[in-house]
Parts: sequence; structure tokens; C-alpha cells
Amino acid sequence: MIKVRIFGVARLKAGVSSFESSAETLQELWKEVPGLTRKEAKDLLPFVNGEAAGKQVRFQDGDEVVLMSPAGGG
Amino acid sequence: MHMPTEYGGYMGRVLQINLSSRECKEYPFSDEERELFIGGKTMAAKILYDNLNGTEKAFSEENLLIISTGPLTGSGAPSSSRFNISTISPLTGYITSSNCGGNFGYYLKKAGLDALVLRGKSKTPVWIEIQNDKVEIHDAEELWGLRTSETQQALDEKLRLKNGRVRKNGKICIGPAGEHQVLYSCIVSNERVAGRGGAGAVMGWMNLKAVCAGGNREVKVADKERMVKHTQKWFRYLKKHPLTGNQLPRLGTPGLVSPMQMRQMLATKNYKHGTYDDFEKISGEVLAEKYNIVNKGCLSCPIKCARTVEIDGQKVKGPELETLVLLGSGFLNNDLEAILRWNHELDELGLDTISCANTIAYAMEANEKGIWKNGLSFSQVDGMPELFQKIAFREGIGDELAQGSKRLSEKYGGKEFANHVKGMELAAYEPRKAVGLGLGYAVSNRGGCHLNGGYLTILEGLGLAIDQTTYHGKGDLTMLFQDLMEMISATGQCLFTSYAFFPSPLLNHPNAWYTRAVNKVLPYCGCVVRIINKFPEIAFFHLPVFHHTKAFEYVTGMKMPFGKYVRCGERGYNLERELNRRFGVDSKKDVLPKRLVKELQDPKNPSSKVPLRKLKKVYYHARGWDRRGLPTERLLRRLKIKETAQD
Repeated sequence: MIKVRIFGVARLKAGVSSFESSAETLQELWKEVPGLTRKEAKDLLPFVNGEAAGKQVRFQDGDEVVLMSPAGGG
Repeated sequence: MHMPTEYGGYMGRVLQINLSSRECKEYPFSDEERELFIGGKTMAAKILYDNLNGTEKAFSEENLLIISTGPLTGSGAPSSSRFNISTISPLTGYITSSNCGGNFGYYLKKAGLDALVLRGKSKTPVWIEIQNDKVEIHDAEELWGLRTSETQQALDEKLRLKNGRVRKNGKICIGPAGEHQVLYSCIVSNERVAGRGGAGAVMGWMNLKAVCAGGNREVKVADKERMVKHTQKWFRYLKKHPLTGNQLPRLGTPGLVSPMQMRQMLATKNYKHGTYDDFEKISGEVLAEKYNIVNKGCLSCPIKCARTVEIDGQKVKGPELETLVLLGSGFLNNDLEAILRWNHELDELGLDTISCANTIAYAMEANEKGIWKNGLSFSQVDGMPELFQKIAFREGIGDELAQGSKRLSEKYGGKEFANHVKGMELAAYEPRKAVGLGLGYAVSNRGGCHLNGGYLTILEGLGLAIDQTTYHGKGDLTMLFQDLMEMISATGQCLFTSYAFFPSPLLNHPNAWYTRAVNKVLPYCGCVVRIINKFPEIAFFHLPVFHHTKAFEYVTGMKMPFGKYVRCGERGYNLERELNRRFGVDSKKDVLPKRLVKELQDPKNPSSKVPLRKLKKVYYHARGWDRRGLPTERLLRRLKIKETAQD
């Protein structure tokens, strides 16, 4: 199992801050994000255990995955 | 001598008030100067350039405090209510400029003024009322000592008693911190703040508590019909853009806490680290979910980035990103509710949240290291409101903290972790994982400022995601961004409008092949950016994603293609640099604290520090500055800075 945390405006749409998943790849995970379509989830930036991840990443049991909307400036 | 203008957007009048003699007279500012120095901070820099020779001190009769608007202020263009305050900073000893939203800029123009130049020192506390060119200087004994919201309420009451009703007006004022000349005191307007550089202390030294302005003058727009159409189109564009229409309105600037954490640039424990385990507790998401009541914007702003929160039954302004981070992860403090209270308290006292938080964080680390036993510790933040009071009133340890981190580190040691540039403390971005911003901090005319530094973080992980630690391309990009932002500021617009410059697809689809390609290639486009920087006139047209230039033309009637816009920004940036040269600024002052250039943020990553020497070399070369980091005579003449000086 992995723990998935959502940040950015996507989180306001998803309505949850985190959830658990058994997905092993990003492609599987995109289908499971609550409140978001697969297309919307695909446009979130993935980070695994604090590091930016590529599309081909494979999750390990216990990984913490962050999905984040692109941000901007302040 | 009244010097009316043929251009739209300007009121054609700059007023000078000497508080020592109470003399008011017009300050001459010609159309030729308007064409070159536009308005806002650049107009102010021109006035300072013509009046200061480098021997003046912040707290002296010779210093000027200039409140200036831009031609677009009050024109109805999006986010165009900004005004600027420039003076010699008591914190740095160099020129500072601080930009503020709210409505004061609009009302200053309603009073018929483009700018107000203040000098001298009143014998007793006063406040100034400007109504349609008419200036009255009133006694402010009753206002002295009041907090900023109390002051503004009291002013409304005074105006009501005097005029029988409260006419619409804009106000600026200082709090107790400014009165006690805390070196990083700010100037407050409604809930908005001109925070950086200590202009509030200069106002306090002048014995000037507040300025109220209002009237019924209209801002003339040269081509009203086209401006209205263009503004409607621009509003729609900003509303649709992912940053200005979605992220900023919904999460405000606090929405950057999480991405900064993921990109390891969240200033934590006095910039020792770039990440904070408890970042989520102080994030923009939690602020939006638990505390935010309503989003607020300045006049004519579709972005509405400001937060309103409720504390103890009172609706008050929520914190900006900088405040949230520096009072949060900066102190290892995860209590968001406390930060909301402190933010309000600091605004009420009239203290710059950034410099204040950084100075306290320096003191915490100095205490931890045993070089200054002061009782302050990271994570232990119970007595913060009392500490802020002591700083504002300069009592006990507060009197020391009121001087800022530079002076304290000179007294107690620990210069390597006193996080300032030229005396002004850094913003909330830890630059070892955003080295372009590290360069920006170092060379910024104002001191440790992210915005005056070019704000390259928007490319280095917070919008796009170029290599955060490479020095490639960053010097040229920094120059371009600084110049663009300089000009946007000079015109009277909010810098946040510039974020819509980034094409939406790149931000909406960060994982798409084209976005990844841009991220990979951009650092190696330095030479292309250099050509634009060197010969901006080749861009003799308007860019479809950059609406500012057309708006400027329609409002003023001056021709302003993109290239000329960039050149005007370059002129403004160099003008401030040249002015600072008179006060002793050169490459030796463009430095970062040792922690950021010598200590690795990540011991396993040799690139996780700011390669400042390399960055500065490229940047100076891009700017056409000499080895000492100063504009050459040739450059100053090419930019028409030298020929126009009155001295």
C-alpha cells in the first residue's frame, strides 16, 4: 500500500487531503484519485518520498506519493 | 511651476512638502522625463537621483520620502491600484522602494497628483490631508501611539467631524514601530502594506503619522474606447489563466508552501534547511480549508489573492506566503492559528513581517549557538506577541531586535547565518535549491528581495521546472525578468499580472512532452535571452500573451512596443543601481550569507549551494556592467540616464 497526499487547487476539488492506494504505477494511480478524472489527475506533478518522479516510476510498499497541481508565484 | 502633461494616465502634478518649513510647492517633472522614467518606483528613483549625492542618511533633513503612482494607476486596467514608496532605507542605507496595493494610489490621483515628495521633519507629530490639490497639515498628537487600524478609524472620524461627512479617501499611516523608528517599520494602507526597507521608520522620523488623499479629479485615458475593449479582454484572459484565475484566487500566495516544500526551497529554521516536516499544517491548503472566509482583491483586481480570516470573532487579513513561512517553518512553528494572530499583530504595530521574523530567527540561532544568550529558541514561541510589542516600542531585547539581523550579527557574530543582503532580510525562498533566485537576492537594488531579484523561482520549480541548481541561463533570465517587473511596477500595476505571461498549456500540463522540453531547453537559451536583453528594440510589436504594452499605449498615448517596454525597465533598474553606487554599492555588496554559498543544503548533493561567483559574472556581463558590478558610462548614456540628470 502507498499513501497518497494531494496538494494545490486539485485538493480543493478532490475534497480529500490523502488516501491509501494499492496502485503500483502512476497510470494505475491516476484512475483512483477521488473527485478527479483520469485526465485531470494526469496533469498533477508526482513526487515519491519527497523527490520529483517521472512517468515510469514504480511504487514500493510504504511509499509516500504526493500529487500536486502546478503552482505559480507569490 | 505647473508642468501639465500631454499624456493620458498622468495627472501632471508632483507635489513637494517640506515638513520642517511646512512649505508646499510643485516639483517639476516634464513629459520628457515621463517618457523615460514612466512612473512609480522609476519616477521616484529619478527624483532621488536628481536630489541625492550619496552622503545623505535615512534619518536626515536631506532624505526624501516619495509616494508615487504609475500612469495606469486608477486607469481601470487589471490590478492597477498600486503605488510605490521610495526613500533611503534605514535598514540598508541605500535606496529602497516598496510597492503597495489597496486604494491609496487611486485616491492620490483623484486628488490630482502623480506623486508626493516629502522631506524635512516636523517639530510635532502631524498628519497631512490632501483634497483636490489643497494641502492641510494637521496636528497628530491624538493619533500618536495608535495602532494602524485605530489610526485609520480615527482619521475617518476626524474627517467626518471636519467635513460633516466622510468623503471617499485613501490613507497611509504608520504604527508604533514607525514612531519608534524600528528599522524595518512598514507603511500601512487599509490592510495592505508597503512592507520592505523601513520606509515607516523614515515617516516616523519625520513625525508624520499619516497621509489622507482624495478628490474628484479623473484619470484621463488617451484612447478610452480601445482601452475598455482591451481591459475586458485582459480581464477574461487573467480569469482563464491557471495562475491568475485559479491558483492565486483559490489558495492565494500561501498555496506555494507545498510546492516550495517539494522543491526543497521552504526556508526552515533560519534557512538551515529547505524542507519542514510539518509543512502541511502551515500550508495554503489548510488555510483555505480551515480559516479562509473570503478572498479579497485590491481595486480593479480580478486576481483577488488576499485572504480574510477570522480570529476571536474578528475578520482580519490573512498572512501572505512570506509571513506564513518565516513565522512558521522559519521558527519550526506549526501553529497556523498563532501565525494568523501574529500576522495581524505585526500589521497593527507596523512591522515588516519578513524582516521581523528573520531577525528573530537569527536571534534564536545565535542563542542556540551560545553567541548571544537571549532566551529565544526555535519551536518555543509562546511569548511572540509580547516580543513583537517590545520590538515596536523598543523595550528591552526589542530595542536590539529593532535593528535587524545585519547589525545584530556585527555586534554578536554569526554573520554566516544572518540572512540578509545589503542589510535587508531575505524572503521565504531558500535559494540553494533555486540558485537563480539566489543571484536575484544578491544583486537586488533593494536588498534581499525576491521580486526586485527577478523572481526566477517561478521557473525553478514553482511554475515551470527548469534545473534548480544550474547556473546556465540564469543570469540572462534574471535580467529579463527584473526589467519586465521593474516596468510593470513603474506603470502602477501588480506584478502578479506578469504571471499570465507564461502560456497556459505549460502550466496546465506540466507532464506533457512540450513542457518537459521547455524545462530542459530553457537554461540553455541564455544566448537567445541575451539578444533580447541587448537589443530589445527588435521586438517592435506587441506580444499576444503580454497585454501590458497595449494597455500602456491606450492609457497614455505613448508608443510602447514590447522591446521598448523592456528597455524602460532596464533604464529603471540601472537608474537605481547607479543611485546606489553613490551610496557605495558595488559587487562587494552583492553577497549572500555564507550559509547559502558555502554550506550544502543536501550533503549528498554538491550542487545544493548558490554558485554566486559564476552567476554574478554572467549577470554583470549580461547587464553590460563592469567588473565592479557597476553600469558603465556608455550604458548610462545609452539608457539616457546620464544626459537627463540635473546635477
